[in-house]
Amino acid sequence: MPLPMQAVIYQSAVEPMQVDAPPEDNDNNEEEPYIVENPSLDLEAYGNSYTGLARLYRLMYIADHCTSLRLESLKMAIQYVMSTYNVALYQQLHKKLQETASAASLPDVAGGGAQSTSQDVPALDLLWVETRSKKAALKLEKLDTDLKNYKSNSIKESIRRGHDDLGDHYLDCGDLSNALKCYSRARDYCTSGKHVVNMCLNVIKVSVYLQNWSHVLSYVSKAEATPDFSEVHGKDSNQSILTRLKCAAGLAELATKKYKSAAKHFLVANFDHCDFPELLSPSNVAMYGGLCALATFDRHELQKNVIFSSSFKLFLELEPQLRDIIFKFYESKYASCLTLLDDIKDNLLLDMYIAPHVNALYTQIRNRALIQYFSPYLSADMRKMAAAFNTTVLALEDELMQLILDGQIQARIDSHNKILYAKEVDQRSTTFEKSLSVGKEYQRRTRMLILRAAMLKHQIHVKSPQRDSGQGGEMSVAPGNSSLAARN
Amino acid sequence: MASALEQFVNNVRTLSAQGNFRELCEMLNKSTEVLMKNGQHLDNVLETLDLQQHSLGVLAVLCVKFSLPALATTPDHHELLFAQAQEFIIGCNGEQVRFAPDTYAELCHLLTHSLVELKLPLRGIDLMRRAIRKIQLFDSQLTSIHADLCQLCLLAKCFKPALEFLNTDITSISQEGGQFDAKYFLLYYYYGGMIYTALKNYDRALYFFEVAITTPAMAVSHVMLEAYKKYILVSLILHGKVLNIPKYTSQVVGRFIKPLSQAYHDLATAYTTNNSDELRTTINKYQESFARDSNTGLTKQVIASLYKKNIQRLTKTFLTLSLSDVASRVQLSGPGEAEKYILNMIEDGEIFATINQKDGMVIFHDDPEKYNSPAMLRRLEEEMAVCTDLDRKVQSMEEDIMVNPQFVKKSCGTQDDDIPPATTQGTKITTYSM
Repeated sequence: MPLPMQAVIYQSAVEPMQVDAPPEDNDNNEEEPYIVENPSLDLEAYGNSYTGLARLYRLMYIADHCTSLRLESLKMAIQYVMSTYNVALYQQLHKKLQETASAASLPDVAGGGAQSTSQDVPALDLLWVETRSKKAALKLEKLDTDLKNYKSNSIKESIRRGHDDLGDHYLDCGDLSNALKCYSRARDYCTSGKHVVNMCLNVIKVSVYLQNWSHVLSYVSKAEATPDFSEVHGKDSNQSILTRLKCAAGLAELATKKYKSAAKHFLVANFDHCDFPELLSPSNVAMYGGLCALATFDRHELQKNVIFSSSFKLFLELEPQLRDIIFKFYESKYASCLTLLDDIKDNLLLDMYIAPHVNALYTQIRNRALIQYFSPYLSADMRKMAAAFNTTVLALEDELMQLILDGQIQARIDSHNKILYAKEVDQRSTTFEKSLSVGKEYQRRTRMLILRAAMLKHQIHVKSPQRDSGQGGEMSVAPGNSSLAARN
Repeated sequence: MASALEQFVNNVRTLSAQGNFRELCEMLNKSTEVLMKNGQHLDNVLETLDLQQHSLGVLAVLCVKFSLPALATTPDHHELLFAQAQEFIIGCNGEQVRFAPDTYAELCHLLTHSLVELKLPLRGIDLMRRAIRKIQLFDSQLTSIHADLCQLCLLAKCFKPALEFLNTDITSISQEGGQFDAKYFLLYYYYGGMIYTALKNYDRALYFFEVAITTPAMAVSHVMLEAYKKYILVSLILHGKVLNIPKYTSQVVGRFIKPLSQAYHDLATAYTTNNSDELRTTINKYQESFARDSNTGLTKQVIASLYKKNIQRLTKTFLTLSLSDVASRVQLSGPGEAEKYILNMIEDGEIFATINQKDGMVIFHDDPEKYNSPAMLRRLEEEMAVCTDLDRKVQSMEEDIMVNPQFVKKSCGTQDDDIPPATTQGTKITTYSM
């Protein structure tokens, strides 16, 4: 077996790797790099809840953002990628793995460093790479000729399937843009509503991998607008498609920071039909939907749409921590709610879709909690309030100040006695004040209107002087300006 | 040579006597050249003409005298010229002069120009006021001489005389020789805005700058550019943000003027962060261009206004706050400076608060105005009266347009155009239905 050979390759590969490292780090920098220290994630179970590229991408995300799980996740990813045709990704993963392994082995290097690492790190299987690439090329060729045959026979249904198969294959190889092309080409050969919906689902899947969210949304609406969308399918398959569409839309809304509509989309997902591991796992739906709802819904909406929702309850069972958080929030036990939120933060930061929004969502949840806490009071002791929110009085004061300035809390702070007073608004005075300012505004506008009428009547407009070039006109004005302005 | 002049004098006399002023104006326009050639004899001509009876003739001669280049050297000459112009403006026959408002305005422009050159702006102020009053048909009519008056007032740093004109809202513009020059229009509103800014009447200043930048334009005017810069600064001082400019602003502003005032836009962005340090760095960064535009003073006021704005924000959120907290939140150097700012703001009525010097606390109050005093009701009534007056004015303007034969003709014409297709459609429908 070519084991010694590999060792050589590996050795030689390390050197260029070191050089390559900095630019890769730079890529990470673009989305504010962070490192999660101590996650409590069961990587095995996590990985198994996804299939296809979703699993690979998620594992890679974890590898990028968590040092302690890095090695393991990369190994799992490699193991999984070997079952696909995605040769490019395999090589890329190996690069990363070797980097990690060498970095990890450097400190405790004593004897045969290279050998000890090559033991627990699966070596780059060049043979596999070669055969896989060949197989992929063969399959591509076969599918291509098939498609050509179908086309020459012009059987619509077969052409559509041919396109879909080709798309599937491209997806398997990790060639997303070509997959997208093939899937969308199938569109011209759709003969029934079912086909259209199917095409849309395929496009949505690839677009999610490409993170092209506007595309996702437009195809979701396209699928939903398909005329016989609800009739063609049996009740069950229809539910499953609907759930899938809703989750895709929710994901897209989440990614574009429209948390409220994201929450609404996730909340209508049907638990029994939530089976699309190439996109999301049911616990993702629970987490995304739950957090978005917590951040954007008011108390009443939260009760009606989340806590009393029979379908979403099943989702929440998957994430008991989240369920506790939502219930604690609803019971106004903010301190424990916020501690629980902090507990799950590390795991959330390892989720590729919600990680960029964790801070925004947490802030919104916290603000909502502050608002809700104060809503029944006329005055509140800020020391008690700070204790309820696990914070210091000073930090609380800053938070409250921001909320008051944003108009979310109608209150004023007595900084001397550390008491928050609800602000009583005198309707009469504000009405007077407002009418006066509206009156002033009216006068100003009307004066301007009258003046403008006169202006237009006398055809006053600035134009370049005909006698000179544009410069002359400007020059004639400029001296007057400077001499005057100097005195102002 | 002398005969040409004699001819001129005779013409003026006869035409004036006949009251044939229109013809006289034409004659005068043509004879400018003759007068130019005989520059040295013009004083003799003036002696033969009577101020009241031959105002138009005197006007033409004076105008030529001002534009004679060679003689503008000796101070004596200027004295004489100024005295003659003064005598003319005070003593001339207004009705006669109104036949040549362009020449009259020209004389004023020339006079202003020479006073500016001689650095004697104060001398012209009163004269210009009289000049405007003489030529105006009514108080709210804008003449191009308004701009001269404002310029002189600005240079003399004597703003009061201009205020009576600036405070009158313009409702009409005088027709000077067929076309009122947009330059003087812009200058009037630009200078006016500057006068109000100097007097710290920012509301009115902003109005004036807004008029200047919303003037219809096909080309970039320097006056408009400068007005736009000052508009941004004054808007920041007054409102704490740059107000959106109205939709009817010409495209030139968006396309050319905005890119030319990048420094000011950056300043506005820095202002919106409410961070004084950042504002200060931005101002330092563009110090040169601000200095070049002579807006350094205004930028300093912008900084001060940010402190005030931040203190006002505090009043919205706090009931009590220690002076040192105020200082740290507003980024002032210390409690002492904070106390100074708050004291000034209380005195100016910008915030309502009391300072407790014993324990260094500031107690913010609500606006004590309860809107139930007779004085407030009176103010309300006055404001309402102004509003209804304005409304009436707009209505009468609309009525004027409604009865304007041209408008009636045009609106009826379009209706005529509209009706035929409508009827054909109608007939079509009926045929279909049949």
